[in-house]
Amino acid sequence: MAVVKVDKLARSVVEGPSLMTGSIPTKPWMEMPVKFKPGNYAYPAKPDILQYLDSQQGLSFPNAHEWNPEDDDWHLPENWKEIIIKGLADRLDRFRSLKIFMDCCVRCGACADKCHFFLGTGDPKNMPVLRAELLRSVYRNDFTLAGKLLGKMAGARPMTAGVLKEWFMYAYQCTECRRCSVFCPYGIDTAEITMMLRELLLMVGLGINWAMGPVTNSNRTGNHMGLTPQAFKGNVDFLCEDIENLTGVKVNPTFNRKGAEILFITPSADVFAEPGIFTCMGYLLLFEYLGLDYTWSTYASEGGNFGLFTTNELMKKLNGKMYAEAKRLGVKWILGGECGHMWRVVHQYMNTMTGPPDFLEVPKSPITGTVFENAKGTKMVHISEFTADLIKHGKLKLDKSRNSHVKATWHDSCNPARAMGLLEEPRYILDHVVDQWWEMPENTIREKTFCCGSGTALNTDEIMELRMRSGLPRANAVRYVHDKHGVNTLACVCAIDRATLTTLMNYWVPEVTVAGLSELVGNALVIEGEQRQELDEGLRTLV
Amino acid sequence: MNLIEALKNKRDQILATWIDRTLDSYVSSGFFKRSKDRFANPVGANIREGLSALYDLLLSKAPREDYMPSLDQVIRIRAVQEFTPAQAVAPILELKWVVRQILSADKNTRHLLSELDSFDCDIDRAALAAFDMYTACREQLYENRIRELKSGSYILTDSACPSALARRKAQDEPPVH
Repeated sequence: MAVVKVDKLARSVVEGPSLMTGSIPTKPWMEMPVKFKPGNYAYPAKPDILQYLDSQQGLSFPNAHEWNPEDDDWHLPENWKEIIIKGLADRLDRFRSLKIFMDCCVRCGACADKCHFFLGTGDPKNMPVLRAELLRSVYRNDFTLAGKLLGKMAGARPMTAGVLKEWFMYAYQCTECRRCSVFCPYGIDTAEITMMLRELLLMVGLGINWAMGPVTNSNRTGNHMGLTPQAFKGNVDFLCEDIENLTGVKVNPTFNRKGAEILFITPSADVFAEPGIFTCMGYLLLFEYLGLDYTWSTYASEGGNFGLFTTNELMKKLNGKMYAEAKRLGVKWILGGECGHMWRVVHQYMNTMTGPPDFLEVPKSPITGTVFENAKGTKMVHISEFTADLIKHGKLKLDKSRNSHVKATWHDSCNPARAMGLLEEPRYILDHVVDQWWEMPENTIREKTFCCGSGTALNTDEIMELRMRSGLPRANAVRYVHDKHGVNTLACVCAIDRATLTTLMNYWVPEVTVAGLSELVGNALVIEGEQRQELDEGLRTLV
Repeated sequence: MNLIEALKNKRDQILATWIDRTLDSYVSSGFFKRSKDRFANPVGANIREGLSALYDLLLSKAPREDYMPSLDQVIRIRAVQEFTPAQAVAPILELKWVVRQILSADKNTRHLLSELDSFDCDIDRAALAAFDMYTACREQLYENRIRELKSGSYILTDSACPSALARRKAQDEPPVH
């Protein structure tokens, strides 16, 4: 190693005891403009995508245009302020929750240090209270008497291009995971504030491509990837061949079959991308084992609903597609795979938005006879609820030793955990399919689970740094159980989790891989007549 | 009191100032400094743990490979935050200034300032190691970007559908007679 000239270097450090490390805020937050640079923003939506969506019945995506976040001029429509203020007025009128959230925050700060974006950046505008304040300040200015009279003294500020840029920056530094809401004494759902911010931005043609591309594909071919029915079926067939090679079990799923008892819907990522495909192989094996009367749909070939964080109307349309397909095929109920956003929409918005789907029956397991009363409204059962019930009734023959390569921990995926309360079922399943697994620390699991940092279409590669820092709180807890117990597998039930936690682990805890829960079930399942090879790594073994 | 003894005696004071200054590089650092819960406050806790361990290892003249894990705790985080490369590794060099501040404030240790050359050199080595680590972290980020691009959606969304590919292939290959 080269010897440093101690004298010179030491003098430069000692004589200039400035803070070499960076910045200390010198101005109030309202006066600190945002700065866009590569790595801190997702690429804008392509105009032709927005134009296509705008042409669709019931959808509105006006003012599509080319723009670059790093430019001063975002080429906004001339009357953009009017559009935004009118849009806000319209939403305050339509959504009572938004009106309440705008008025009832007392700025107690309980949420401030609960957001993974704040914890990873130390940026005050990532405190949920302040992120909401970005919108609330404009609301005060234009919609409250105090704000109109007192202006800045009442925390109000007029809508400016700087404010709009701030919205774009921070509405896309929130994954709508709702951890902050768990701690809010008033129950403010900050995710809904982010949803409104994103809707308002889209009214003036500002969106991100990673959200708008998948919803466009989903609207067009039924899934995020734009897979045609033939390609979708082809991928599942390919997985069936893999299963046969690995286990000797021949699986024959059906597609678009009218009269099937159950329609199965899962994220399309399960069908084409690692490590989701191993989860998909788990589903296929389980259904074959049970002899389930079910069908896939090549049109409702996507569980994920990116409409949730795009616009209310788009969310409704994409959700409606699943139920329209259930109706067309004449099934009795829907079984849903390991997905995140789908379950939030189904549990929290579906019934007042699309439903109630009275043409379906209350889900009843054909194997155990269990009636899923909890799904009476939605007619849709989570694969973990379904599997846990099978295990509880002793319907599955499971050999834990087939997962002996797995030392697991459980990541509660945000939406299934916080939006539908799926906390016990996955743990019950884990108990039965792996020898040992360990919980992460109490304040990082269950309702308080930390987000993967890449939800709501932030799973794109151009913001990799942002994803790594916002995922730090999750990775930090995984690091702990890895160091303490030798955990090597992070299990979860969400397609975005499976994809993005894999990258997150690669950066922070490379010793840990990510697996879907149904993959672990598939590994452990003992099937009559099987000719399973020595599968050291379960269904992901290369043979 | 010799230098090493003084650095050991003043450990808590030096660490407190060093950690404080490092955490001051975050715009809103109050929580990072205050919360001792390593799961609620990963940035604050890892920087605190990493710098504390690094300090002890530097004092014990530990070789580079021994203190790399502690450096990793600090630099891996700073490599993905909005710092310039210089800002990301600067805290390591700041230890020199902190040590001088603390030793010069006490008349019993003031005379030791002239003996700091060797310790400064150790800090420099650690700073250079931090730079290596920073670069490795950045490279890993770019590799991960490439891997995501190669493995996933890109192939399916930005390429032709399978039937079109098959057709093209058939056109490209001369018919077999």
